[in-house]
Amino acid sequence: MTSSGGSKEPRPTVVFDRMLQHERTALAWERTAIATIVAGALLARHAATIHIGLAGLGVAQLIVGGALLIWTGRHYEHLHAPLRAGENPAHPRAARLVGITTIGFTGVATVVAVAALVT
Amino acid sequence: MSDPADSSRRRQRVERWFPADPTRVGADPDYRFTLANERTFLAWIRTALGLAAGGLAAITVLDDFAGEEALGIGLLALSFVTAATSYRRWALNERAMRLDEPLPVSRLPLAMAIGVAVVALVAGVLFAVDAAR
Repeated sequence: MTSSGGSKEPRPTVVFDRMLQHERTALAWERTAIATIVAGALLARHAATIHIGLAGLGVAQLIVGGALLIWTGRHYEHLHAPLRAGENPAHPRAARLVGITTIGFTGVATVVAVAALVT
Repeated sequence: MSDPADSSRRRQRVERWFPADPTRVGADPDYRFTLANERTFLAWIRTALGLAAGGLAAITVLDDFAGEEALGIGLLALSFVTAATSYRRWALNERAMRLDEPLPVSRLPLAMAIGVAVVALVAGVLFAVDAAR
């Protein structure tokens, strides 16, 4: 097989990850990042009806989602070599960070919705 | 001052919801299992975010609709419960895979089904009431 030009490293010649697990996981990360952005935008819009400053809560979530989207693309690229080398791709820090961020976001959104009801 | 027994109890409470790094025990499983677990975790996170988005949209979009806040807050509470259990599920699944144990049982899918069914029922009743006004 000849390598298609451009890349520095030679193209692998052995089929790996036939079921595209790596790509499917990367897409799941991207969908999650996009959902994070959308949820942040909705919170910003709702929070602004109470006080414009509160919109910052939603904007912060939106920025987290954007950063996550960028990280996700890079993570996909970086994982090719370790996966081929047989290393386990578990990433507890990323899971913990996304888990805690989402708990914080859904908690804040609930508090904002209750506060809007009371005020 | 905190005595050791007290802080260990606190750590136990924290680890109930945020289990310690599962990659410290057992042996690496097949990478496909790890990635499948990761995707399942992300799907739960998206479910939480989707419920939150639905709740916020119900409050923002449905104007002059009796019970819109109740509907929205119900969805937001459901989304918080989902988010709160997601990381825990991921860590416990990963741990079980690494120790070659059966995956832990989860009541979350059942809770989600019942929760969403209740919200849908309430929404249906509210729409009927609103239409009759």
